[in-house]
Amino acid sequence: MSSNALIKGSLQTIILKLLEENEKMYGYEITQKVKELTAGEIKITEGALYPALHKLEAEGFLTTEIQQVDNRVRKYYSLTKDGQKEVSSKLAELQSFVESMQRIINPGLKPDLGF
Amino acid sequence: MRTLSEQEFKEIQRSIFHKEISSAEVLAEIYDHYVSHLQEFPESEFGSQLFELEQKFTYGYCHAIQAKFNKSVREDISKTQWRVLKSYFCTSRWIYAAGILAVIFYVATQTKSQQEIGILLLSPLILLTSMYVIFNWRVAQKIRPIKNTFKEIGIPITSSVYRPISERLYLPVVLAQVLIYFPRLFSFDLDLGSLLPGIAAVITSLLTLYMLSLLEVWKIKSKTALL
Repeated sequence: MSSNALIKGSLQTIILKLLEENEKMYGYEITQKVKELTAGEIKITEGALYPALHKLEAEGFLTTEIQQVDNRVRKYYSLTKDGQKEVSSKLAELQSFVESMQRIINPGLKPDLGF
Repeated sequence: MRTLSEQEFKEIQRSIFHKEISSAEVLAEIYDHYVSHLQEFPESEFGSQLFELEQKFTYGYCHAIQAKFNKSVREDISKTQWRVLKSYFCTSRWIYAAGILAVIFYVATQTKSQQEIGILLLSPLILLTSMYVIFNWRVAQKIRPIKNTFKEIGIPITSSVYRPISERLYLPVVLAQVLIYFPRLFSFDLDLGSLLPGIAAVITSLLTLYMLSLLEVWKIKSKTALL
């Protein structure tokens, strides 16, 4: 399993990217989607997920929608217009970071990672 | 995915009771997480999975989420109201605001007695009070399902957005009372004479714009919160 510290730094990017691809998602669905896409390699802890979701919502990148599902209330998150712009910016930031890391780890390698 | 039994739902609710969460939004989100997670596992693993969730959603963690969420909601309400107020003057909506102000100033110039000025000043306050009553009724309706699910929790459950908006609704009413009773308390006798209609028009305009902006904030937030 990947280190939690490494995931924490890119959690907001992961959330934004997932919401860019899926119109709306709820908290548990996000954790499951990440688990599924990474074959269980990355597990988002609930301890980090909800504070990150609420932070993105407070910053205006996410909007929420309350829906009644099987006798309970479900909170769906989706991207705002600002959030859609933020996805590209965050992805570019992450890509640049990964490339820099590659240069440190493999100085001879010329990374060309596409997101 | 399986359907949980009544007994399992009760167990989930019981374990969430102990966290004493008062925010309906946070409570609903955690409850949904618990149910969604436990539905993925067979009955035989219910106990161990519930225990695992309990280790993640500790009392301290839930209260930290709630505190941060309440703080961000409060800031968001202020920002939203300010944005709405600015939009009355900065965008094409200035005609709408100018129309309201023109009507208020016209009515103020037509007043002939202090009683009529009093009625002019009271009108936005009466509307704010009515809004407060309707707002309370709407919130009570929206959170009723959560309250019913967690009726044994022992602490009042309400929307995190409720308090910041309700405070804004009754603040002008309280301030008006202070403005009326404070001079009387110290036997001040203010004679504003011919200035009174002008002052009344300014105060009524500010209160009306404030009330309209708050109504819009309520409308915006009702889509994203339990209002």
